[in-house]
Amino acid sequence: MEVDRADGRNPNQLRPLACSCSILHRAHGSASWSQGDTKVLAAVYGPKAGTKKNENPEKASIEVIWKPRTGQIGKPEKEYEIILKRTLQSICILTINPNTTTSVIIQVVHDDGALLPCAINAACAALVDAGIPMKHLAVAICCCSAESGYCILDPTKLEEQKMKGFAYLVFPNSILSVLPEGSSLVQGEPMEHGIITSVTHGAMSGNLSTLRVSVSHL
Amino acid sequence: MCREDGSSEVQLGQTHIMGFVTGQLVQPYRDRPNEGTLSIFTEFSPMADPSFETGRPSESAVELGRIVDRGLRESRAVDTESLCVLAGKLVWAIRIDLHILDNGGNLVDAANIAALASLLTFRRPECSLGGEDDLEVIVHPPEEREPLPLIIHHLPIAVTFGFFSSESLLVIDPTHHEEAVMVGKMTATLNANGDVCAIQKPGGEGVLQSVIMQCLRLASRMASDITKKIKDAVETYNTERALRKIKRHPTSITLDGSVNLKEKLNEPSGHNVVNELSRKHLEKPRLASAENASSPGNNGEGESKSSNFGRSSRRDGATSNFVGGAASWDPYSRGVDSDFLKASLASRGTLTPKKKQQDPTGERKPNESKPEESPGDVIPTTSAMDVSETGVHKGGEKTLKDAVKPKHKRKKKAFSSTADAS
Repeated sequence: MEVDRADGRNPNQLRPLACSCSILHRAHGSASWSQGDTKVLAAVYGPKAGTKKNENPEKASIEVIWKPRTGQIGKPEKEYEIILKRTLQSICILTINPNTTTSVIIQVVHDDGALLPCAINAACAALVDAGIPMKHLAVAICCCSAESGYCILDPTKLEEQKMKGFAYLVFPNSILSVLPEGSSLVQGEPMEHGIITSVTHGAMSGNLSTLRVSVSHL
Repeated sequence: MCREDGSSEVQLGQTHIMGFVTGQLVQPYRDRPNEGTLSIFTEFSPMADPSFETGRPSESAVELGRIVDRGLRESRAVDTESLCVLAGKLVWAIRIDLHILDNGGNLVDAANIAALASLLTFRRPECSLGGEDDLEVIVHPPEEREPLPLIIHHLPIAVTFGFFSSESLLVIDPTHHEEAVMVGKMTATLNANGDVCAIQKPGGEGVLQSVIMQCLRLASRMASDITKKIKDAVETYNTERALRKIKRHPTSITLDGSVNLKEKLNEPSGHNVVNELSRKHLEKPRLASAENASSPGNNGEGESKSSNFGRSSRRDGATSNFVGGAASWDPYSRGVDSDFLKASLASRGTLTPKKKQQDPTGERKPNESKPEESPGDVIPTTSAMDVSETGVHKGGEKTLKDAVKPKHKRKKKAFSSTADAS
């Protein structure tokens, strides 16, 4: 069905992306990621010696600090920190530098919808800039569904508020390979269809076909 | 790139600071029922320096907040009485959040500039009294009524000096390497009128009176320089903001706007922000009766007339590049030196707009590149402006017996945006 989005996009169309790396001088790695008007700045320091008390010293640990635009740090920020930490833990190779801590600091510059996916993308870019060893890149997208059952990608803040439910999905990136072996197959399916992280809000009826389409757009 | 009212980004060499201003209606303090409040929150983000930690603010964070706060509050730069809505019941509490992103030294000066720039671009919603007894306060959303700027009387600029153990060594605007080895520092907050708002010299090595006086003289010259740069950046933001309102209704521009703009091309450029805004308010009712286009378009046209700096060529290009968004004609996207910015404003912006129109999409990618980069055509004007800059400093060096090393790579980006129709 034809969906009228306020800025004239198709339901499967993302906002213009922009990314710059190495924008900060003191941080070991930094990146700024913007999707439309949502902009997030990420900085990485690490690896630093030592791990925190609760962390496993036989692996590298990742620490995430989320800085909101204004105001104090509250529960939603803590939740974002946890999600981001678990996502990054699954993409970084933790066995290479045991007993070290890598700090990722996220600063929200502007929030116009799809904030957490933007932050995940920014953090991934910053880790690459810092040279932290990773298995693959994480690609995050937000898709939401409305009352009438249609599904759109990368909503703006106004669109998010009108939606019934939305999901943030993080996928590994597809491998572009020159060799004929190409992308590895995991249990018969190409690896890039595996979901690393998914966070859902609200109620959503199954829209797997649209999810497949969204994957191909990444 | 997103821009908003009340946000600013300052780059002073390697130091990078962002400021955001927000306002809330609260109850006033008992002893000041007619005044609004101003509070400053400084975030020493661990992003800026590996030694910064989250949690409790460190000593230097508290000191920075206090210096900026003193400069603004005690010099009465921001008019707090105009923030009163209902005496004794409701006033505006203005909150300034300063995020330190990159510590390249001299955080105080940069934070001060960020706070001032964001205060100048902040717009608070208009409130009026209504309801049955005229005791209810109605806050008008920005779509209904144009939000108002704060009344700022003057701009207190902080200038920091660093002293070294050798008596004849004095540094202005120290970098973080210099801060690590200096033995004393002094921050002087002055405004362009020559008033000294605050001086802070927290301990350290003793310094001769004559040196202090020379520092103050230097600082006063720097202050007027920086004030001009801040005002120029804010002017540009205001122009952009006005244009964004026009962008919402591109058809109305081709009909009336472009003709009107060209007529007004020869207006004198020496407006300061307050004059500009009062004229905007005057022109609004005039246009509202004349046009029958929708209201945001009207406001935009009124504002565009009064805030014209000869940018008609830019606007025509800008409307066709609407899809690319505001970034397509961002004057700061390549870390443009503010000297160039002064030159471009003076020469009616002939260089910058043509460049932007030719390459609207390409700009998205080299966005926010490193501050040291500058596009080729910037260099000729930059060097011209550099000559005048060094001229100032040579004058400084002659009067001072000491070796004064100005560390002067200031670039500023003022962010602005409006919630789009989306």
